[in-house]
Amino acid sequence: MGSAKIQAEILEKIHTIPPLSQSASRLMELMAIPNHSVDDITRIVQCDSALTARVLAVVNSIAFSLMEPTTSIARAITYLGDRIVLGIALDFCASSVFDKPLKGYESKRGALWDHDLRVAIASREVARLAKEKIGLDIAFTGGILHDIGKAVLSEFLKDYTKDILDGIDNGTITDYLSAEAAKLGTNHCIVGGEMARVWNLPEPLPEIIRYHHRPDEANKSSRALVYAVHLGDIIAMMAGAGTGADAMQYQLDTKYIDYIDMPPNLLPEVMLRVEKEFKRTRSSLFAKKEGAQ
Amino acid sequence: MIMLGVGDLGATNLPGEVIKTFALGSCVAVVLLDPKTKTVGMVHVALPDSNIDKNIALKRPGYFADTGIPALIDCMTRMGCKRDGKGMIVKLVGGAKVIDPNDTFNIGEQNVLAIKRILWARGMGTLAEDIGGNISRSVSVYADAGRVLISSPGRSDWEI
Repeated sequence: MGSAKIQAEILEKIHTIPPLSQSASRLMELMAIPNHSVDDITRIVQCDSALTARVLAVVNSIAFSLMEPTTSIARAITYLGDRIVLGIALDFCASSVFDKPLKGYESKRGALWDHDLRVAIASREVARLAKEKIGLDIAFTGGILHDIGKAVLSEFLKDYTKDILDGIDNGTITDYLSAEAAKLGTNHCIVGGEMARVWNLPEPLPEIIRYHHRPDEANKSSRALVYAVHLGDIIAMMAGAGTGADAMQYQLDTKYIDYIDMPPNLLPEVMLRVEKEFKRTRSSLFAKKEGAQ
Repeated sequence: MIMLGVGDLGATNLPGEVIKTFALGSCVAVVLLDPKTKTVGMVHVALPDSNIDKNIALKRPGYFADTGIPALIDCMTRMGCKRDGKGMIVKLVGGAKVIDPNDTFNIGEQNVLAIKRILWARGMGTLAEDIGGNISRSVSVYADAGRVLISSPGRSDWEI
């Protein structure tokens, strides 16, 4: 199949992906604003009865050991924190993206969500070390969304995995991103950037998604943030949370040091902080699934 | 089947039992095989040095090379292996890195070096290794024959 035909099919596929729920979109917009309040988040969640039910199911699950079950959404949000609420909203409304196996990456169901969550937490930790002040919550959201393009690209890539790995092993292909472009004429960052446009995600999320593997090409105004997610992605892969066949097969851009004050000797400490936070957050999100049963 | 997460360790001498750990990334699996007692053990090491967080090291010694290996040997000693680890076969798997000609983030290599230093101090050397490179590996250790099988998404399994 010719590259132009494949690209047309990929574009068509992007437009068939269900849109994000209004609540998830508004939560992302809100979390892009520094100093947003719990009241604002509560208002958004309260207007979505299904999301309200999910959030209450999580907070009342055994994992949180409340003395008495709560029916107050404001209390639930205060208890869970806005990042977990966003995680619940995204997992709920975009399961067709996050919660399916990715054949083109030899990735099992749930692996993309695990990877994205770890990247989100790592990006937030890295963002704390940025040389200029950048939004921690937007780094987290960017981390969750950075690989959405893989959900679309996967099915087009599934016949090429062995070829790609052989090419990387024998040095004819430099990394997985180049391999995607060589086989399909596009890559998961470009496709993800287009999905961000279709979903009408607020800036700088499309920029993060589009350039997370090539942060030096991002707009200067959001470059530090893109580097934070770039490093978050690398840290997640090093911790064993890649999405499958492409794990560890991407380039580190060492120019990150111009934007992020993270010398290599600080990496173990950051990895440990990410591991602790990941366990805590993941158990909360799993509690939702148990509670929702 | 005994499943090990990051920082976990386990050992068995039950015929037919398998110890597994998944997606090592820059982490390293240290596999110990005792031919005398037919005991196998594995620890999933994430970082080289426990001085970074002594609390984690107490709760989960396997997380660090310097606490993980002694803890694994202790565990195997309780199953009848020699406390000094003499006679044990050692195999290492993992320690991968992302693509970077400058090796900026070489945690995998640091893990391997820390593990080898600890093994050497005990007079133990490795019989086989599958370390480094840009691939994330999973490991299965079979108690019966002491086989160490490695897998990685998109590739055929291989043995060391």
